[in-house]
Amino acid sequence: MAENENINSEYAIRVKNVTKQFKVYYDKGSSLKERMIFRGRNRYENRTVLDGISLDIRKGDAVGLVGHNGCGKSTLLKLMTRILYPDSGEIEVQGRVSSLIELGAGFHPDMSGRENIYTNASIFGLSKKEIDSRLDDIIAFSELGEFIDNPVRTYSSGMYMRLAFSVAINVDADVLLIDEILAVGDANFQSKCFAKLQEIKANGTTIVIVSHSLKQIEQICNRSIWIHGGKIRSDGVPNDVHMDYLDYMSEVRKTNALLSSMTEEQKAAYDKEKKLRWGNGDATIETVKVTDKQGKEGNLFEVGAEIHFRVGYKVNKPIDDAVFGIGIFRPDGLNVYGTNTRIDGFKRFDLKEDGYFDIVLPKYSLLPSKYIVGFSIEYGEGIPVDYWKTACEIETFTNISDIGTIRLDHDWGFSDGEIKK
Amino acid sequence: MLNEFKEIYKYREMIYSMVRKDLRGRYKGSVLGFLWTFINPLLQLLVYNMVFSIILRNDIEKFYLFLFVALIPWMFFSASITGGSVSIISQKDLIKKIYFPREIIPISYVTSCFVNMLLSFIVVIIVVFASGVRPTVAGMILLPTIMIIEYLLALGIAMITSAVTVYFRDLEHILGIISMAWMYATPICYPESLCPEKYRFLFHLNPMTSIVEAYRAVLYYGTVPDMSTLLESVVLGLVFLTAGCIVFGNLKKRFAEEL
Repeated sequence: MAENENINSEYAIRVKNVTKQFKVYYDKGSSLKERMIFRGRNRYENRTVLDGISLDIRKGDAVGLVGHNGCGKSTLLKLMTRILYPDSGEIEVQGRVSSLIELGAGFHPDMSGRENIYTNASIFGLSKKEIDSRLDDIIAFSELGEFIDNPVRTYSSGMYMRLAFSVAINVDADVLLIDEILAVGDANFQSKCFAKLQEIKANGTTIVIVSHSLKQIEQICNRSIWIHGGKIRSDGVPNDVHMDYLDYMSEVRKTNALLSSMTEEQKAAYDKEKKLRWGNGDATIETVKVTDKQGKEGNLFEVGAEIHFRVGYKVNKPIDDAVFGIGIFRPDGLNVYGTNTRIDGFKRFDLKEDGYFDIVLPKYSLLPSKYIVGFSIEYGEGIPVDYWKTACEIETFTNISDIGTIRLDHDWGFSDGEIKK
Repeated sequence: MLNEFKEIYKYREMIYSMVRKDLRGRYKGSVLGFLWTFINPLLQLLVYNMVFSIILRNDIEKFYLFLFVALIPWMFFSASITGGSVSIISQKDLIKKIYFPREIIPISYVTSCFVNMLLSFIVVIIVVFASGVRPTVAGMILLPTIMIIEYLLALGIAMITSAVTVYFRDLEHILGIISMAWMYATPICYPESLCPEKYRFLFHLNPMTSIVEAYRAVLYYGTVPDMSTLLESVVLGLVFLTAGCIVFGNLKKRFAEEL
């Protein structure tokens, strides 16, 4: 902690070129057995959440962080509280930090509200003496009155949150970090929380808020930072930043509406963004041709028909020991079938130049529905090269009214041996 | 390192409240409640005593006491390292959502086991006096020192096991066996003299040997522990604690991601 150093510095928080990546495991095994047996399964992808971000926050500033889900704003806040540590770069925070990320941390349902104040406040690093001196304020703020000596399990959720918020807000921190929790209690209590935040701000506490409510940020903050894709996209007076942000968001909404009319290329890019397609890009699936037995292209097939797929790929970097795969999904997400060349016992493929692979399904017996067909190229050890979950769509029809997922071959038999059909 | 100690000191109230919560919650809902803290060691003593005085007879005088004064400290040690290994995992909600010095969790856990042992020692002292052993004043003054040395050792190891278990969950189960083997490698159910001379040095690599010997010197033989043995355990205790701090310090940064 840099608490006593540079105490006169004008900055409360300094973030210097911070990068944070998360390992996203496809199928993680953390016990010895799983690690030994499924060594190949321990594959993961590094997702960069924050990408070399730098920012300074002055003492006494109130700063809002905005951005769409998954843009990295909450990660940044967690780095500031030191729940997470950056992969590279530095974060300096001066003074006592109180974070309102999780309210009621460590509450014990069987203990009284009063005892829980001690437990909860101790987690913020307050000593017994400090808690004693704040106790009356906390109880008064929570409006719990005589209920304070009842076990917390008897509280309504509103009372619970009120107590938790009262503790967190009364810590007297130098830096207050808040994540999306201003929706506490009834309207009356909310406005009280708001007033308290204003008061805290007036006392010179530095505040950082993550919120989707731009209005809240505009009311409290004097600066707003829009984080997009792990980088700062815009930084300034809340009103200006929010204008840009709202403009962008309405653009996105328009794009979503336009999705159906996209070209193949745009769609591929969009899928990647949406995590329906991933991989290291050493090779990419370029074309998918769907044909029937006669070689006629189309997407509509009768149940039981023969379907041919020809998947063209481009090699960007020679690949040793490639594995091709196919996966068929129903729109509700059911994985109907999947296999790959390794499962089917093929020897290794070494990809040196562009080419294609064929898959023939001689009898496609899946009952009428839309099906999404995905293809994959991966390294033998399981590292995805190009996983495209939504490479193409086919649809089946039939005039037989059997039900279920798949048509199974079947025969009937009868005790009198007569064929009645 | 110094900053970390300062910070942990600042969070001392959290240690206190976690220990209190743990002790209060331990026998929650049971009829005898907190009395179990005393009944448990007595019943254990009864079982071991029956096994070793009736079935596996031996000619150690007051065998029940010989065993008891070693068993209670061992139970504290063993609970600290096995239970301590899951202490971080069981607090994952706290770790993922809020900042506090992560060391607080193993410290609180080991401390709560330690307080439990101190309470059991009320029973131990009563049994010691009832059996007619009169510990020396010097011995009784040294007793808290022995306890603190054992506490530091247990804490050091618990910090390692708690941090490593986050990344490698099997450790929890492996520790069950290690703890059992360790118990038999420590002269708890038998005197050290039973160990063949040529393996004796190995025995003393085991930090618990000298600690158990020290307890026994004070409470069973009514003497003062051998100072060189005590010094040996101080050194081993500090070595393990330092190792614990280093391992924990390196592993704690990714707790929130791994949990």
